[in-house]
Amino acid sequence: MKKTRKITATLTMAIMIAGGTAVAKDAHKIVIDGSTTVGPIAKAFAEYYMAKHPEVNITVSESGSGNGAKGIINEACDIGAMSRPMKSSEIEAAKGAGVLPVEHIVAMDGIAVVVHNSNPVADLSVAQIKDIYTGKIANWKELGGPDLPIVAISRDTNSGTYETFESLVMKREKIAGKTEYVGSNGAIRQRVLSTPGAIGYVGLAFREGVKPVKVNGMEATPETVVAKTYPIARPLYMYTAGRPRPETPLSEFIDLANTPDGKKIIEDTGFVPLK
Amino acid sequence: MQLKTRKILDRSFSWTGAIAIFLMTAALVILLAPMLARGWGAFHFAATIEHRRMILEQFGRGNRAEIEAERNASRLARAPLYRMIAEFEKQLEDGEEQERKKHAASLRNLKKALRGLLGPEPGAPKPILMRDRYGQTRWDRALVKLQNALHAEEWDYSNPDRGGVKILKKRAAEFAGTSLEPLFAYLEQNTKKMLLPRRTFYWRFLTDVSLDAHFFGGILAEILGTLYLAAGAMLFALPMGVMAAIYLTEYARESRLTGFLRTCINTLAGVPSIVFGLFGLAFFINTLKVSSSKSVLAGALTLALMILPTLIRASEEAIRSVPKTYKEAALSLGAGRGRVIASVILPAALPGILTGTVISMGRAAGETAPIIFTAAVSVGKPLALWQVFSQPTPALSWNIYNLATEHEAADEIRHVQYGLVLTLVALVLILNLAAIIMRARISRRLKG
Repeated sequence: MKKTRKITATLTMAIMIAGGTAVAKDAHKIVIDGSTTVGPIAKAFAEYYMAKHPEVNITVSESGSGNGAKGIINEACDIGAMSRPMKSSEIEAAKGAGVLPVEHIVAMDGIAVVVHNSNPVADLSVAQIKDIYTGKIANWKELGGPDLPIVAISRDTNSGTYETFESLVMKREKIAGKTEYVGSNGAIRQRVLSTPGAIGYVGLAFREGVKPVKVNGMEATPETVVAKTYPIARPLYMYTAGRPRPETPLSEFIDLANTPDGKKIIEDTGFVPLK
Repeated sequence: MQLKTRKILDRSFSWTGAIAIFLMTAALVILLAPMLARGWGAFHFAATIEHRRMILEQFGRGNRAEIEAERNASRLARAPLYRMIAEFEKQLEDGEEQERKKHAASLRNLKKALRGLLGPEPGAPKPILMRDRYGQTRWDRALVKLQNALHAEEWDYSNPDRGGVKILKKRAAEFAGTSLEPLFAYLEQNTKKMLLPRRTFYWRFLTDVSLDAHFFGGILAEILGTLYLAAGAMLFALPMGVMAAIYLTEYARESRLTGFLRTCINTLAGVPSIVFGLFGLAFFINTLKVSSSKSVLAGALTLALMILPTLIRASEEAIRSVPKTYKEAALSLGAGRGRVIASVILPAALPGILTGTVISMGRAAGETAPIIFTAAVSVGKPLALWQVFSQPTPALSWNIYNLATEHEAADEIRHVQYGLVLTLVALVLILNLAAIIMRARISRRLKG
């Protein structure tokens, strides 16, 4: 019996010490959650930073901008990646929880409207895209394409890309009930890749293998986004709870976007670095 | 009934059974065979010199001298390629403006395709992202990229009534008549010499960490994360489950309350797993604050709740199936109630309880939804044991989903996804096999 008690005591001690170290180690972890559009940047930054600072563990998950905002409000993550600015309601909620969200713009992005490669339609106006998503246009024939029903694919309502699309293209009109909702940029790409009649919208980094159409005659490229001639462009954000203390991994990580290497990474992942 | 009809009925019944079992086996084979075959490709494949170089530079494994010699051989094979391009570029520069414009775009595309196949050209600055630092590490992917380098993909939209048709246009035709034309024949004939494929068994896929978000490397972080989560869930659920089962079978009298409790447990078993995930986020992380962010601890607690009903029921069944005479004999010898449970009933029920345990452990290892909001991330390091209290982790099930849908290069790294699937399936199979073996052993010991 005595022996067991001794073992239990040692075990409890061990767990307590381990717990203690865990708290002490907290400075060496960064938890990133949020936008799937910002995902490639966050993941590449994480790999880059961890290669230089092996003692830091950076985790990235991509569950949508809405969750990034929630993570900041609940202090469940250190960085909330978002592809839209925080709404006033979210900022209020954060302040109510005693958190001051601080915005950091990391890059610019255009929302590319993509279709299947076999689709001859190459040019759409914002009004036409809106009509597609409200269900007014239901067949590619009406747009000069083949006789093929349009399968409209949208991001879920938790997504920042959805919010931007809604305000810039839909002009606050509701997306029709027939639209399919999926959870990530990658999922839209996969769906469009495999469906000849599909149309979807994704961040610039997710154009591989699908065909971006011109919007109002403008192609979605880093150049047109920089020149602000592409009509559906937006900044990408990382939010922190309060301004990160200087010279901590968190502040160094956020600052990556302003370093030459960081800008190169943003460019290489397909987005547009800030000037 | 006549003897004859009875015999016919009997026979037809056993036949139906045999057919059912056959169909089940066939379904299993159809399900598992492609999974195993494709997953195997993550471990055993034709690796190119780029793979050996990556392993040497990133993990410090391999014979440096040998790999350097191979690299020199491959450089030698690639040299004419780059020489031809350099010469052509020089010609363009010296030539007319018109000529330059005509070839600029196609030359850019060709160089991009070559970079995809062979990695950065000699003399180029070292790319920051690891995915751009190496050429194709696998021969099967290299063949795809070779096609990209040889052919430009175009779509023919001339028939307006139908969708476009894919046409592969030879890039050689774009450069017909120029000094670059022979490059394509050379590339096609010498790809093997440039990449030196060799069959490799990369078992370290299991023990290497992933590099550049799964572009290279292995899946150690995912395996460790899954084991932590499953073991952690067991740690919480097993004592609670067994105690609840003991209470329900040995102590509780059949009353409205226990009936209600049973209904609750049954309902809990039917709750969709995503609801557990959301509950875990709201309760363990946001309310109890067991950790400041997602963590293995929060995920394990959530999974524990999810498998609790299965465990309670399995344990209850096991305890109930212990013959009453055991208990009566122990009681008649003067043992107390607690003693009887600890020394007679539990040991006898152990095989059943263990089977339930291991099967629910397999379920905990495979579940995705409960850990989405509580524990799983798509990129992260393998955790040390003390980090499970505060840090989230990649896990097999979640990363399979992530690689299949969200990852920006999902098509490039299918083999990693298949490898993850094989590992997860193997893990669950091993757990179930362990359950069967343990059960057999313990029941043999109890009999003997």
